[in-house]
Amino acid sequence: MQAFWRQSILFRAAMQIIGIAMVVGFGFVFLTASLTEQYTQQSVSQRIRELMTTVERTVQIACFARDQALAQEVVTGLATNSEVLGATIVGGGEVLAEHRSAVAGEERVRRARAGRVSRPIVSPFDSSQIVGEITIDPDPEIVRARVRENGGFVALLLGLQLLVVVAAVAAVVLLLIVRPIKRMSDILHVMDARSIKPLAVPYGHDGTEIGRLVADINQLGQRLVASLDEERDLHVQCEIGERKYRAIFENADSGIFVIDRGMALQSCNNAFYRQLDLPRHGERDEKLNLRDLRWRAPAALGQLVNRCDVLNRPVSEDLEYLASDRESRWFSVTLTPVGNQLIQGLLTDISRHKLAELSAQQEAITDALTGLLNRAGFLQQLEQETVLPAGDEVAGFALLIVDLDGFRRVNEAMGLASGDQILSITAARLRSCLKSSDIISRLGNDSFGIILHSAATEVAANGVAMRIVSALKGYFEVGSPPLQLGASVGITLFPNDGSDPEALLRNAELALDHARLIGPGRFCLFDVTMAKNAEHRRKLENDLRFAVRRDELKIGLQPIADLSLRRMVGAEALIRWDHPQAGLIAPDMFIPMAEETGAIATIGLWMVEAVCQQLAAWKKQGVDYYLSINVSARQIPDGMPPITLIETVNRYGVDPAKLAIEITESVFMGNSEAAQIWLDAVHELGFRIYLDDFGTGFSSLSYIKRFPVDVLKIDKSFVRDMGEDNNDRALVGAIINMAGSLGLDVVAEGVESRQQLELLARAGCQCVQGFYISRPVAADEIEGVAARIPQLL
Amino acid sequence: MPLAADADGIVVVVNPAIAVDALSRNDVINIFLGSVRRLPSGIQALPVDLPQDHPVRAEFYRLLVGKSPAEINSYWARLLFSGKTRPPLQAQRAEDAVSLVQGSVGAITYLERSKLSSKLKVVFELSQ
Repeated sequence: MQAFWRQSILFRAAMQIIGIAMVVGFGFVFLTASLTEQYTQQSVSQRIRELMTTVERTVQIACFARDQALAQEVVTGLATNSEVLGATIVGGGEVLAEHRSAVAGEERVRRARAGRVSRPIVSPFDSSQIVGEITIDPDPEIVRARVRENGGFVALLLGLQLLVVVAAVAAVVLLLIVRPIKRMSDILHVMDARSIKPLAVPYGHDGTEIGRLVADINQLGQRLVASLDEERDLHVQCEIGERKYRAIFENADSGIFVIDRGMALQSCNNAFYRQLDLPRHGERDEKLNLRDLRWRAPAALGQLVNRCDVLNRPVSEDLEYLASDRESRWFSVTLTPVGNQLIQGLLTDISRHKLAELSAQQEAITDALTGLLNRAGFLQQLEQETVLPAGDEVAGFALLIVDLDGFRRVNEAMGLASGDQILSITAARLRSCLKSSDIISRLGNDSFGIILHSAATEVAANGVAMRIVSALKGYFEVGSPPLQLGASVGITLFPNDGSDPEALLRNAELALDHARLIGPGRFCLFDVTMAKNAEHRRKLENDLRFAVRRDELKIGLQPIADLSLRRMVGAEALIRWDHPQAGLIAPDMFIPMAEETGAIATIGLWMVEAVCQQLAAWKKQGVDYYLSINVSARQIPDGMPPITLIETVNRYGVDPAKLAIEITESVFMGNSEAAQIWLDAVHELGFRIYLDDFGTGFSSLSYIKRFPVDVLKIDKSFVRDMGEDNNDRALVGAIINMAGSLGLDVVAEGVESRQQLELLARAGCQCVQGFYISRPVAADEIEGVAARIPQLL
Repeated sequence: MPLAADADGIVVVVNPAIAVDALSRNDVINIFLGSVRRLPSGIQALPVDLPQDHPVRAEFYRLLVGKSPAEINSYWARLLFSGKTRPPLQAQRAEDAVSLVQGSVGAITYLERSKLSSKLKVVFELSQ
């Protein structure tokens, strides 16, 4: 209680005020004393001087008269004043009178002498004549007493004042500050934080610091209440959340667990045990370590944990787990660092996804129809097979490509379903020809690739190829009647012919091309010349692109003679390529190439230009020949637009009727509608249409009726055998008759002998063309040839 | 009456037998107002004052120390209080004063110059 008092504001304020007042009071007392001393000293001196003045006249007389009695009388009179301690009157050089205090000590006398006041005395009759002196010693005790008296009074006054002030301040502090604070403090002291009531503002304290303090405390209290409420709500919510998440945790389908960095299990849910097929030992299975479970690759799990730990962010990986019944499961394991060196993990069974993924992968490399590997799968396989092992022992194999001959035709004629059936049968037959170690795949439409591990040598591979060819020669029981197709096989050997999949496939394709070339139902082993030929062909293709620009193309003209007119009426313009290195290259060598590469359009237009030039020259010479050019199906309709044709002939001033367009029946078979429009347009513009190679294709009368054909050119194969074969002779005759009845002209091609000529003439053929008449010649030779022709007819 | 005095001035006289020929003003003041009543020759001086209300007396003190007779009286009144120093002998009449000087060695008085006689010796003169 005493300590409390010492610390109370009241006590401290009082003590401080007393302290300050005492310091100031002492100052004042001291000041008062010193001022009083000065003042008293002055007033004493003044008093002494006044006393002197009072007695001066008498002293003058006493001094002048040297009257000791009078002087004594004066001195005695002076001594009765309290201020005077001693007095002396000297006159005419002798002391007339003197008073000394009997009670004063030596010290007092000595100090009095220090304050001595003297005054010279003049004669009462002559103020210029000094006749004596009066001396008074003021009593120092007077001054001291006065100082003491005044100082004491002031000190008393200040003391009283101090007492009053301290009392007043104490009262004010007590009433105004201490009491309200004490009251608040008492209330706050016993207040429960959960039930804070606002404090009342003490009377008269609205707006004062205390009022504000109360307001602030109330506000703080409200805030505290609000925060406590909030916290309580939060706590409740947390509890609810906790319960909710606990439920989610416990009932989740995914395994949820918490492990430490050493993978020791800290906690887990039911699904965790279920998923990993673990028996539950008890509520807390502290000994369980994730590392010890039957992961296929426990190291991978360890790395995942490390990664999570190092990166300090969620990591995830698919891991395989060997369940108790020997079946393997896949889990997506997601680890999330949750702090405190703990890692939370999520275990999701993705076995089904994984299976689907695997089967999708399988599907991606499987041909749906035959169940064989598809091209991608085959390439993948080939890729693996061609990786040369580190050792010197190389396991060779043969790569075969099997192609069905004429499959496209069957597909078109009989529909896709039949085609698919044939392909399935083919796959089965191929499989029967091979051993289980061999790999078979469907590379494309009707193309199969085979890796023959069992037959790595040329001889063995040929044997297998032969078996395949003969197996596919057999009838396919598809529809009725059963179909017979053949197969061609290209063979290449690894590692002799090539070391990478690309080269091997290319080689096999080349061998296959060669096999197809030499006839249906053949097989062929790759050799280096094929590659060389292919290389040569590629070079030619490349050169062909520049042939027009380099002016390497020429036209040759093969005369066409009219039998009744017995002269040359026109010529077929044939293209030649004068290759700078290879020399003259025949059209049947490079035209298919041009068709494949698209160069045919440029070449065709160049041809029209060249022909028109020739026709213009003839027109200038007054010669009436016509020229025909060959237009392939590839050029119709966009490669040679009708508008370009007419523009070109107009530019040269040539009659369109002098330019014949030779087409083959293949034109009708592709996009026949576009071909129809093109032919109609060209015919309408006045160009004549020749149907070349008539009789070799699907010659159909309906084509001749439908398309605007002017002239039929009978194929040389009929003409060649006319001499020996009566059938051909009859066929030619029938064609000529039919043409005649349809109002079409006829040109017989490939006339090589006089006999053929006569037979044709007899059959009523109008025009002929062939080596008998003339080989194709250069333009500048045509005049000479034309002159010779009449003699041949 | 004061007119005569004004015209001739006042002289301080002694018995001619005295071997003093002249006195200073201070000598005269001391003899008449002070305690030293001795002539320079060493003879005891006996100052004789004129009667209280004599006009020459007033004139004498006026000329000597510039004081009125009342002031002179007051002066003596204070000294009389001690009883040690006494004022000069006061003659009943002016003639008595002269006769005292003529009659005794050491006596000294004052009178108007006009009233001077051969039996008197002037030692000091007071004039306007």
